[in-house]
Amino acid sequence: MSVIPLLVICSIIIAGGFLVAFLWAVGRGQYDDLHTPAMKIILDDRNTEQNDNNDNKRPRTS
Amino acid sequence: MRGVNADEARYSILEDYRIAQHQISWKQGSLIKAHFEIPSMHCASCIWLLDQLHKFDRGIHSSDVDFLRKTVYVEFDATLTSLRKIALLLSSLGYEPLLNAERGHGSAAAPQKTAIRRLYMRIGVAGFAAGNIMMFSISHYLAGDGGLLPSLELLFNTLSILLSIPVLVYSASPWFTSAYSALRRRHINLDVPVALGISVLFVRSIADITLGHGEGFLDSFAGLVLFLLIGRLFHQKAFDAVSFDRTFRSFFPLSVRVDVRGEQRIIPIDDVQTGDTILIRNGEIVPCDSVLISPAAYIDYSFVTGESTPIELVGGSVVHAGGKVVGKTATLTATAPASQSHLASLWERYGKHTERRSFTDLSDKFGARFTAIAITTAVVGFVAWLPDVGAALNVFTAVLIIACPCALTIAAPVTLGTAMGALGRNKIFIKNTGTLLELSKSDTIVFDKTGTLTEPLNTITFSGRELSDAEWYSIRGIASHSIHPVAQSIAIGTPSVEVDSVYEEIGQGIEGRCNDHYVRLGTRQFVVSDGETDDSTHISIDGDYVGSLTLQSKLRDGMHEMMDELRRVPARRPLLTLVATGDSERDKPVLCSLFSNHQMSFRLSPEDKVRSVQELQTLGRAVMMVGDGLNDAAAMGCANVSVAVTNDTSTLVPACDVVMPAGLLHRLPAILKFAGSMITVIRANLIFTIAYNVLGIALALAGLLTPVLTAIMMPVSSLVVVGLSVGGARLYSRRIR
Repeated sequence: MSVIPLLVICSIIIAGGFLVAFLWAVGRGQYDDLHTPAMKIILDDRNTEQNDNNDNKRPRTS
Repeated sequence: MRGVNADEARYSILEDYRIAQHQISWKQGSLIKAHFEIPSMHCASCIWLLDQLHKFDRGIHSSDVDFLRKTVYVEFDATLTSLRKIALLLSSLGYEPLLNAERGHGSAAAPQKTAIRRLYMRIGVAGFAAGNIMMFSISHYLAGDGGLLPSLELLFNTLSILLSIPVLVYSASPWFTSAYSALRRRHINLDVPVALGISVLFVRSIADITLGHGEGFLDSFAGLVLFLLIGRLFHQKAFDAVSFDRTFRSFFPLSVRVDVRGEQRIIPIDDVQTGDTILIRNGEIVPCDSVLISPAAYIDYSFVTGESTPIELVGGSVVHAGGKVVGKTATLTATAPASQSHLASLWERYGKHTERRSFTDLSDKFGARFTAIAITTAVVGFVAWLPDVGAALNVFTAVLIIACPCALTIAAPVTLGTAMGALGRNKIFIKNTGTLLELSKSDTIVFDKTGTLTEPLNTITFSGRELSDAEWYSIRGIASHSIHPVAQSIAIGTPSVEVDSVYEEIGQGIEGRCNDHYVRLGTRQFVVSDGETDDSTHISIDGDYVGSLTLQSKLRDGMHEMMDELRRVPARRPLLTLVATGDSERDKPVLCSLFSNHQMSFRLSPEDKVRSVQELQTLGRAVMMVGDGLNDAAAMGCANVSVAVTNDTSTLVPACDVVMPAGLLHRLPAILKFAGSMITVIRANLIFTIAYNVLGIALALAGLLTPVLTAIMMPVSSLVVVGLSVGGARLYSRRIR
């Protein structure tokens, strides 16, 4: 049973790390707009120009 | 579509530092971050295109889209490109940015952002604490008769207390500050009993733990704060999504062209001085009272008077602010600075919306009563148990804990927030949650501006002898050479036709030869040189009078059904529907099928409308105003609730309570019913909360309220309330589709 205090403290420290990560993300503005990124994910990559260049080097698979 | 040159001129104002300032969020050397509001943004491919701005202009580093705020943030290098070029680029892509002295303040969105960030952080802290404390509490609850090992118990208790302190001082602080400021004003709002409940819960728990009486209520405490914060987030989100209140200056052009000794210059509106010569082009709005210099001009005063047919003015006439120039460019001399104009004063006098406080008042009144009852019950309980001070204190705090109206603070925002969201998805936007309450109460509907009930496109009816196709062709051909709006609506869709000897007498008519017919088109005086002027346009061909054209509006689809349904909406008394408009009687025949004669009044000035609304209100009626423009604003401001019907939501949004597209007007009865059922849902929640509290208080008075029971009762009540609210709002919102 004496291992329980150690485990409890460890778990709180780990969970605290996640809390800090969350607060950091909020502070950096990652929660400001939850709607647009959700729509962006269905779109093609932002740098389609670079992709085009890569495509030229790579043999076409389709 | 507007040509590139017109756009170039329009956006050249962005070279002006004072105007550019409104669009710029921050600046560092040559690197500038600016934002443009783009009302026409509407789908995922818009986001895609606006994300690619850097491909169109090398100077643009990146662009970022905020879809809900319809804003694009652009980061660019000022040495390579400029604000004006970006505005032009956006415009050429079909996303005309909204440049606006009033909207442009970059700071407007910023405080909102920090508020929501802080809310997320509070939720994070409360959630973290609630989760961990619950783990410790469960071990207490499950430990059985023997209890935990003393060393473990000490550790768990210490950790619980440490975790709960940030919840009290950080997460729960909004309620304490609100309750404190309310109490300082000798006023009790709903936050007072909440703050009282939270603090008693905390103090009692700490006392229990340190005195060794038990494990305390810290898990309930953290969970309660978490639930309350989530309710607040709901509210904030709903509010954020529909905040559309725009101020008066949004209607005015941002800058104006002035003529300085033969040279045209573009200056901000605020800089216009009395005596300046200003040039207003087709479709632009006159920013200040002025005198016409051009020989003639057509001015559309629909913003001011409600009459949508443009009036014709000759040189030397007074033009009031808010008039829209139709046709040729007008040259004017300003006689007053923009802020002091007739229109601005009209707006300032009536347009300010008194904050609709009825809903807050309701919950505050409830809060005061609730606090009084809770404290009385607690004291009665204390006295009843008195010889035993320990037990008495126990009962006293237990009552205050369980009587926390937390479920109620969640119920209203969640129900109304869901309802606003549901309406928003149907393109019906509501200013705030209190509006729903007002909507459900209204028993008199005043339709302002016949344009709300009628289609904006005029239908032309011809009376006279039968005309051949060739004759019609000639009439259209001649009409297409006039800038008069009536002529233009006759000529719609006519390709340019060769005509001879066209002569237009401004304000009278136009004549000319086209396709071997000599056509005269205009007032009765002009065409047959006798008789009185009327609303029709008369035509003669080759000297013979053939008949007259009348422009008539058409009723929107579904208006008859809407009226029938409105009469069936359950209200405190039969709904009264009226028409009060600034238009002429021209549309009266069309409206007669909907209203009886005494229900309609025409040619009303904005002041008349205000007066008639106030008269209705003195009769004890809750007036709902349905209108579409600035001319209605004064009456809208004093009506109990106002609905703006727009043909294009993204361009014209007057300050009002509800904005809906004109095509959805026939759903008005459904919206009224929906508002009524939302109030029913809130009432149901209220009754549930009261019943639950009575049960809780009974348990507390009997001294049976243990920490385990509290830990179960509190979340269950919150969950039931949230379920009832969301479920009720969703269920009823299906009916408005």
